[in-house]
Amino acid sequence: MTAIAAIQVPPTRSIPLVREAGGALAIIVLGAIGYYLFPDDLAFLTRLIGISFLVLSLDLVTGYCGIATLGHAAQFGVAAYAAGIACVRGITDPIALLMIGTFAGTLMGLISGALITRFRGLPQLVLSIAVGQLIAALANKLSWLTGGSDGLSGITPGKVFGIYNFDMYSRTAYLFSLAVLVIVFVALSRFVRSPFGLLCRGIKDDDLRAKMIGVSVYPRLVLMYGVSGAVAGVGGALTAISTGVVGLDSVSFERSAEVLVMLVLGGAGHLWGALAGALIFQVFEHIVSAANPFHWMTLVGLLLILIVVFAPRGLIEPVLSLVARFTRKGRAS
Amino acid sequence: MNRSAKSILSLAILGLMTGTASADVIKVGIIGTMSGPYALFGKNFKMGIDAWVAEHGNKVGSHEVEFIYKDEEGPNPAKSKALAQEFIVKDKVQYLAGVYFTPNAMAIAPLLEESKTPLIVMNAATSSIVEKSPYIVRTSFTMWQNTVPAAKIAFKNGSKKVAIAVSDYGPGVDAEAAFKKTFEADGGAVVEAIRIPLATTDFSPIMQRIKDSGADTIFTFLPSGPPTLGFVKAYIDNGLKVGGVKLMSTGDVVTEPDLPNIGDSGIGILSTYHYAVSHDSPENKAFLATIKKGGGNLDDVTMTSVAAYDGARLIYKMIEATGGQRDPAKAVDAVKDMKWVSPRGPVSIDPATRHIRQNVYLRSVEKVDGKLINKESQTFADQPDWALSTK
Repeated sequence: MTAIAAIQVPPTRSIPLVREAGGALAIIVLGAIGYYLFPDDLAFLTRLIGISFLVLSLDLVTGYCGIATLGHAAQFGVAAYAAGIACVRGITDPIALLMIGTFAGTLMGLISGALITRFRGLPQLVLSIAVGQLIAALANKLSWLTGGSDGLSGITPGKVFGIYNFDMYSRTAYLFSLAVLVIVFVALSRFVRSPFGLLCRGIKDDDLRAKMIGVSVYPRLVLMYGVSGAVAGVGGALTAISTGVVGLDSVSFERSAEVLVMLVLGGAGHLWGALAGALIFQVFEHIVSAANPFHWMTLVGLLLILIVVFAPRGLIEPVLSLVARFTRKGRAS
Repeated sequence: MNRSAKSILSLAILGLMTGTASADVIKVGIIGTMSGPYALFGKNFKMGIDAWVAEHGNKVGSHEVEFIYKDEEGPNPAKSKALAQEFIVKDKVQYLAGVYFTPNAMAIAPLLEESKTPLIVMNAATSSIVEKSPYIVRTSFTMWQNTVPAAKIAFKNGSKKVAIAVSDYGPGVDAEAAFKKTFEADGGAVVEAIRIPLATTDFSPIMQRIKDSGADTIFTFLPSGPPTLGFVKAYIDNGLKVGGVKLMSTGDVVTEPDLPNIGDSGIGILSTYHYAVSHDSPENKAFLATIKKGGGNLDDVTMTSVAAYDGARLIYKMIEATGGQRDPAKAVDAVKDMKWVSPRGPVSIDPATRHIRQNVYLRSVEKVDGKLINKESQTFADQPDWALSTK
């Protein structure tokens, strides 16, 4: 693990953001393929991007800090509700809503981080579930604010920059989400290689050792939780804006568990792993549930078993080792 | 036959064949709970529609009708909206139908006008759904429709103090309001009103609260599925039934597939509902026979299959009226005031509310020929949706 951390350190500092530009370009190309090849599926792809933020966010705490959590939907859901409620009460600018969601997500992240990261292991997991359930119960109970089980509907955001309208075909929503994803992804790939990000990896690998060299672990984990909350918040706000409805599902335990599955599927501890997991799981689920609406869950279960048996560390690991082998060969020759 | 006659004949045949092949296909998107705890009711949508198609063919005039199914899973408005959007944008459906849960129907409603797509609601039972779009027609029931007779019966049967326990969402709130208003107007008292979160599985604490309230009757509504069985079991196991507290409910709580699981201790439970599988009429017998012939299991039949069967009738009528063109206003106008005899009894579409008017029956759980059924004993004829019609 420490070896991986060492590889991640940029050998020389060159032009800023050059390394990240590759990632951004890859997402833009993928996004363009999605836009032009599947113009009828943009609503689904927009939803996929929204959830991808949550998987990325979970990756920050689980993959990079080793925090086990099954309540991560809390950050996502609180942000979605915050954006939704703000929109229903009259703030309709999408960018402003995005900010509100991000802020709510950050706040929720700091609060749950302060609770959850005090412990490690099983108590931590239990506490994360408790926080998630608490938020879910609140969302149900405060039905005058959240709409309860009926969901919060009537969210009609205004135009992006006052020009692009959110239409039924989700073109605007898709491009808007994609643009935000590129920005967040670039920022995150920078962030995880920053001294702070590397320190978090160090804490994950051996927190006792980290303490010994004088790192105060707890505040850093809380801070990381805050950042993770912000990313989840972006996803939540985007989902609220693009679907126009926020339901209890967005804070549900199932949502938390599902994104953990996506993360494990793609490979925790890598941003690309998180994205790949979110993409593969949701596309597979989408295709299978359309092909057979009656028994699709069985097939999804089978896929998961197969992947966990054959690629226990996520789909990204074999790809990475392949890439590593090629680059090593390239250098040797 | 000479060669030219032969070629003309073959040309004609070819022309006929291509003629049928190029007849347009009209797609109908069905959104229902096809997997998970509520899967039975989604499958009932399919059973009902299949029965209609088996009886009337898959063609209206020269237009072929194709039903496509998608899984709404549970109360998940965001997902349902995405499904509806996909149906409209990708599959280019001309009609949407189905929808088990109210929140899901509410989420779909804003899409209808922009896309010019009528929606035939085959279950979701909150009154206000039909007000969300002029293109919504409903063939199921509403809570007000089924609950008002329940409250009247309860009072007539001598209940004085009632505890209301309902699911904490749209239809539950409707049921509570309908019962309270009717029962108090008649002179009864509501001593306790409990709203139960949708995801509840343990009902013992609720039974304790009802016991403590000193009520002589419970009125309840929960969406059909695992919770209703849990509720009735808790009612029996906690000794309320033996203790003489009566249970009055809408039929959602005692759907026929649940009765064997409730067992003989459920005998005597009263409910008011628009359809019992045991309803005695030639239409219902024919309907059940068709389902059986199509390979359906009669023990699985619930009210959603009848709503879907009648919903398919409306869709066929709409296609006929519009000549297969996308014209939602004309389509909806065509079914307003429509009257027919459904397997549940005589029904009509109320032109003012676009909701179905129907008989509501008082039933009690009874054992007939070794099988538990909801035996109908009293009929409330031609019930409108009381919430919509009093406005």
